[in-house]
Parts: sequence; structure tokens; C-alpha cells
Amino acid sequence: MQLVAAVHKDLLLQWRGRAQAIAIFVFGATSLLLFSFAIGPNAEALRQHAAGFIWLALLLSSTLTLAESFQSEMEEHALEGLLLLPADARALYYGKALANWAQLTLLGVALVPLTVVLYDAPLPRAGGLLGIIMLGAAGLSGPGTLYAAMTSQTRAQQTLLPLLLFPLVVPVLLASVKATSLLILGDPMGQLRSWTILLVCFDAIHWSVCGLLFDRVVED
Amino acid sequence: MGVIEGGWEFVWAAYGVTAAVLAGYAFSIHLRYRAERRRRERERSAT
Amino acid sequence: MERNGEMRAYVLGAIGVALLVWGSWWGLFWAPRESFMGDVQRIMYVHVPVAWNAMLALTFAFACALASLLRGGWKWDSRLEAAMEVGVALAVLLCILGSIWAKPTWGVWWDWDPRLTTTAIMVSAFAGILALRHFVDDPVKRATWSAVAAIVAFVDVPIVYFSVRWWNSLHQLQSSPETVSRAFHWPLRINAFGILFLMAGMIDLRARVAALRLEGELAPPLPESGREGVR
Repeated sequence: MQLVAAVHKDLLLQWRGRAQAIAIFVFGATSLLLFSFAIGPNAEALRQHAAGFIWLALLLSSTLTLAESFQSEMEEHALEGLLLLPADARALYYGKALANWAQLTLLGVALVPLTVVLYDAPLPRAGGLLGIIMLGAAGLSGPGTLYAAMTSQTRAQQTLLPLLLFPLVVPVLLASVKATSLLILGDPMGQLRSWTILLVCFDAIHWSVCGLLFDRVVED
Repeated sequence: MGVIEGGWEFVWAAYGVTAAVLAGYAFSIHLRYRAERRRRERERSAT
Repeated sequence: MERNGEMRAYVLGAIGVALLVWGSWWGLFWAPRESFMGDVQRIMYVHVPVAWNAMLALTFAFACALASLLRGGWKWDSRLEAAMEVGVALAVLLCILGSIWAKPTWGVWWDWDPRLTTTAIMVSAFAGILALRHFVDDPVKRATWSAVAAIVAFVDVPIVYFSVRWWNSLHQLQSSPETVSRAFHWPLRINAFGILFLMAGMIDLRARVAALRLEGELAPPLPESGREGVR
């Protein structure tokens, strides 16, 4: 099936470019460190804001991941080559989006131990946290893959990708931070469910809409 | 909430900003339109 | 672009300005003082009309984006550019007015009201799309991509609104200037139509600017003549 082939291709590309992925992780880790300087060595305040920091770090790192995901297609005009094949553009999109989602989830998971250490964040519900990281990463990679495809064909990708993506993913940021915060600090009023539903809705809507529109973005 | 007394400076600020932004922006469209028309006349007369 | 074509835009604008002057005069000097807000409530006579029309402009932009993608044609792309730029201008004005309203009412310059916060996010989103247009030289790609981006951004608006509302509801309960009693209807309506006409004129003229620029881009290169010094 085309989708499986596309995912396989993109995961292979990511594996080959794992040096880049490690560099992005270092970037994310450094960001986590720098954020703490904004608050100061106040353990209580740091713990309160841990959820916000990890998602900000993930958001900033996602621009690097997403921009890089179309690099190989831009070289040697590989994109046109792929489109000439009797392959559905939609399969290309979902393959890329799934691979990006996997990488972002991995990055999120990798940043959790650092968050625990730097911000003294407790981890009572690690399984739930994994779920939120996956949903949030999907919210970033869905529209992010569409915009990465678009902006990689312009001359100002580094500016345009975050400029276009960040306002769009505000709901993901809000919901993920709130949900993570509830998971770390406790959820006395049972609000976790509404935020999770918001994330699921965002992901469902954007993965369908962006998939539908993708072929218009890469056509010649 | 109690009654707000005065506050006219905010009212004037609001109306003033509205007038300034709308007038300024509309005028900028007008200027850009004139510039485009002039450019087109120039290109047409150059052929 | 015939002479009478562009006159339509100026006439619409003139009607709009006249209505705005009338409505604002009424709202500032004739309308009675509101019982709780006092005179500060008069800000509503510009704040609410700008809000309605900003949303209208961006909704029109969404419609133009759909038309541009589904039906094609350059005029929809020009209208899209115009509607987005005018919409962003009005939305920025709306955020400023929201600030001016918030200070005497709530004591802070920004109170994270969901509608205003969503507006601010929409300003970033659509300003970003205008920036995108700037960096794409190929007119066909520019038209397609900005239409795609506009559709995604617009579809996102309700999600953004709800998420901000839930996020904010945990912190403070606030009422926004929603219910307006009968005595205050007329200046509001007049100003709303005033901005509507002015906005229509601005979008019309701005679309012509975009169309003229496009014409310049798509025109075949001029034949070599002996007038290289003239530019």
C-alpha cells in the first residue's frame, strides 16, 4: 500500500539523518535550561511552569524537525520525481506527517526526564503523559507538514514556517500545557478529559483538512 | 462594580485611534492605487 | 479599469465616512449615559462595529479563498489579498480598541477576553499569510498557497476561540460588552453600516491595486526599444 511505502521511506530518511535529530534534541534540552533562567532558581515556581516549558521547547524544536523533513525532497528536485510516480499526493502527506509525528513524540519523551530533573516535576501518571505528548505532537506535525511542504519551496522558510504555524497551533499549546500541568500537579476538578477531547478534535480536523489540501500545495 | 466616573480621555482615544487608523489605511490604499495606475500608463506608453 | 469602475470604491467609502460621522456624533453627544459604565460605554459605538466588520472581512477572505481554489481565476486571488489586508487592519484596530476599553473597565490593558485574544491570534495568522504572499514570486503558487493557508487558518478560528475560552474561564469570570439596551441601538447600527460601506470601498480599491500588480507580473516582457534610459 502506498501509505506504508511512504511512511517507510520517511522513517528511513529520518533514521539516516539521526545526527540531525540528536542535534534537535540538544536544542530542545538547551531551551529547557534557558527557560528556567526566566523564572529563577525558585523550585516551586519552576514546578508550576514545567508543563509550559516542555511544550515551548517542543514547539520551537518542531520548526527544526519540520523544516528538515522536506530537505531531501528539495534537493535534486526529488519532489517532482515523487509526484511523477503514480503515487497519490495524499499518501505522501500522511507518510511524511506520520514520520514527523513519530520523531516529535520521541523528542517529547526524551525531554521528559530533563523536565523532571530541572523543574522537580513529579510524574504520577506517566502513561497519561505519553498520551498527551502523542496527541500534542500530532497536532504539531499535521499542519506543520503541510506548511513545511509549502515553505520549503520559498526562499524564506526559516521565518515563514514558524510565522505561519505558531498562530495555528495555539489550541495545541494551550491544551497540551494544561493537560500536562494537570497530570504533573494533580487534577482535582477532573478537567483532563475536556482538554484531551480538544486535542483529539484538533488533530482529527487538521489531519483531514491538511491532507485534502496537500496536493494543491505540491502541484506544479 | 461601581459606577465609572469620567473616563472621557479613553473615549476620545478610542474615537481618535479609529479615525486615524481608518483614514490612514484608506489613504494608503488610495496612494498605492494611484501608483499602480501611473506605472501601468508608463508601461503602456513605452511600447 | 475604467473610470467608473474605481469611482464605485470611492463612493462606497464616502457613504461610509458620512455614516460614521453621523453615528459617532450621535453616540458621543446625544446618546444617554449608561448606568454602570458611564461615558466610557460610548467606546462601544466604535468597538462593536469594528468587531463585526473585521470578522466579516475575514469571512469574506475565506469565501474568496474557497472560490480561488475551487473555481480559479485571478480576480478571486486579488479579492483574497484585499480582504485579508483590510481584515488584518480592522482586527489590529479592534485589539487596540479592546485595550482602550479594558483599562478603565478592568484596570488592565489586556484581560485575555476570549474574543479579543482570538482576534489577536487571527491577526498573527493572517498577517503571516500576507507575509507568505510577499515571499512567493510565482503568481500561480502564490494564489494557491495563500488560499490553502487562509482556509486552514479560518477553519482553526472556532477551535482557537473555544480553547482560549476554556483556558480563561478557569481564571476569571468576565462579562463582555454584549447586551446593549434599546436606547443605544441607533448609533451602533449607523456606525456598523458606516464601517461596512467604508470597508467595502477599501476592499474594492485594494483588490484593484492587487489586480493591477498582477497584470504587471503576468504581462509578456516588453519588446526591446531604443529607450533603455527611460524607466
